[in-house]
Amino acid sequence: MDENTFELTREEALDLYSKMVLTRHTENRHEELYQKQVIPVSTHLGTGQEAIACVISGLLEKKDYLIGTHRGVAEYIGKGMRVEDIFLEYGGKADSISGGRSGLHLHSPELNILPLLGELGTDFSLAVGAALSIRNKGLDSVAVDYFGEGASEQTDFHPAMNMAALYKLPVIFCCCTNQFVEYHPYRESTCTADIAPRVEGYAMPWQIIKDGNDMFAVGRAMKEAIAHSRGGNGPYFLEFKTYRLAPHHSADQCIYRDEKEYEKATKKDPVPIAQKALLEKKWLTTEELDKITAESLKIIDQAVKTMEESSLPSADTIMNFAMAT
Amino acid sequence: MDMTEKYYTEAVIDALRLEMMEDDDVVVMGLDVKPSIWGTTRGLYEEFGPNRIIGTPVCEGSFVMAGVGAALTGLKPVVELLFSEYIYLAMNPIANVAGVWPHVSNGGFKVPMVIQSFIGANGFGAHSHSQSTQASLLNAQGIKVVIPSSPADAKGLLSSAIRDEGPVVIFHHRQLLPMTGEVPEGEHSVPIGKGSVMRKGDDVTIVSFGAMLYRCLEAADILEKDGINIEIIDLRTIIPFDQELIAQSLEKTNRLVIVEDGRKRGGIGSEIAAVFTEDYFDLLDAPIMRVAALNAPIPYSEPLEKACLPGVDKIITTVKKTLE
Repeated sequence: MDENTFELTREEALDLYSKMVLTRHTENRHEELYQKQVIPVSTHLGTGQEAIACVISGLLEKKDYLIGTHRGVAEYIGKGMRVEDIFLEYGGKADSISGGRSGLHLHSPELNILPLLGELGTDFSLAVGAALSIRNKGLDSVAVDYFGEGASEQTDFHPAMNMAALYKLPVIFCCCTNQFVEYHPYRESTCTADIAPRVEGYAMPWQIIKDGNDMFAVGRAMKEAIAHSRGGNGPYFLEFKTYRLAPHHSADQCIYRDEKEYEKATKKDPVPIAQKALLEKKWLTTEELDKITAESLKIIDQAVKTMEESSLPSADTIMNFAMAT
Repeated sequence: MDMTEKYYTEAVIDALRLEMMEDDDVVVMGLDVKPSIWGTTRGLYEEFGPNRIIGTPVCEGSFVMAGVGAALTGLKPVVELLFSEYIYLAMNPIANVAGVWPHVSNGGFKVPMVIQSFIGANGFGAHSHSQSTQASLLNAQGIKVVIPSSPADAKGLLSSAIRDEGPVVIFHHRQLLPMTGEVPEGEHSVPIGKGSVMRKGDDVTIVSFGAMLYRCLEAADILEKDGINIEIIDLRTIIPFDQELIAQSLEKTNRLVIVEDGRKRGGIGSEIAAVFTEDYFDLLDAPIMRVAALNAPIPYSEPLEKACLPGVDKIITTVKKTLE
């Protein structure tokens, strides 16, 4: 196959870049609103990981399933979730997708974004189940499970990889190795530097993308994985290396972080890197860049306004959809 | 309705076959569902093939989670767990996901799945292959639990469970698997949430389910000779249980004994007793009594297993106590 087949097109790159910018500003606004006590749930920012999460989800179609993480909003925006729905959810409002029940745990039945489980690393098999549906219904969708290296320490990892490979299911496992698991460097709880080679044991194809902050590298790998799995060739495992520029959550002081390493990592922020690349390719002008930022801010302002004007759920909705009561 | 004498396991297969023929989205998953350890899925692989009778690796927690994922995306899986102790291996997908996400998503996600498992001591199963763990699901939100007591009910409750839009756990009692009984041919459903009166009586109400009902019937026959008439209610659905039916019976008897072979502490009887003490105290003339397994693991050796589980004698003495 021609290697260029998997290159991001101009149209794709611009769409994905816009989503990265929208993500960055949405997350920053969330932090502001949390500090102002407008939004009760603290942030788990995905700053520095936008190139990975926006691209892997942004290249999917509506018919594809996505299971995301608690870290930031990139994959949700990538899959098409409206900022308004994100803020309504975080605000615990009546008009949110969950009617005020979910909070941080984004999901969208309409967009095929499956539940974000609060039990870290237990959703690998949830993706396997979605892929069983795809297979049995004869669809050409894929199921993407996006997770961090910390989740790979969980017990569901092995059986899910085994089942996905055994049944030859269209699951793409996307591991974002951001160097930290909650409040510690991941090497304190994971015995190897790389996660992906483990799936060699399941006869599953895999790739390590050394620079997960390069949206084009992420795009190439993801397009290859999608072509593989959509084509009926079974699961695929991608590991993207990056650096978590954000604390675990709003109140985390990051005392476990090597500050020199952190300083170095801030120079490799994927958003300006993407900007530079798009300018160099002459796919964008500086005016157009400014326009993307301005449009993002406009969307966010409007979403926050909608959220602030929305009412909280009425207490008498509590038992709706509570089963077996 | 045409009735045919069938084994309990044949009635289970009947329900699975009918529902699978009716709806292509119904699939069966679990360890060795192709050869079928308990005989509850026997012959279905040959009929429906590997995409619908899905043999799984040994990973209960994970293949139940895969079942949840399949249910969220349009399949209707029946996932088999060979022993009710394995419910604990699958507690995360059951209690943290299947039971709560329809609520969390405000009805946006449905989890139409069935977990079929097996309870009850049947000799030499010891602590890991004998217990009746249904009460472990009492505190998990959103999970219905049904326990049939006959081949006909096994077919009817399983069909209803498959058609239910939420997660339902069905426990088959191992002692009942070789039992035969009249089973309706064709479609047959038993409503979830409704119990039935198995024996009429005026003096004491016994509430039970599954195989223990037959110990209760034996006890009732013996007590009848002493002039004590027992009403026996087969709960059929354990969670949520049929309060109305029990209350109707208590209007007559004013005495309640709950019999189960799960452990006494935190058992199904504990919950029923609490609800009836709180909400139906006026109907009671005596303390509610529970007959259940000892608060110990079920042991291997015969006299120990027997000592751990409630028998007919225990039911009789307990009933008499409520009449003192």
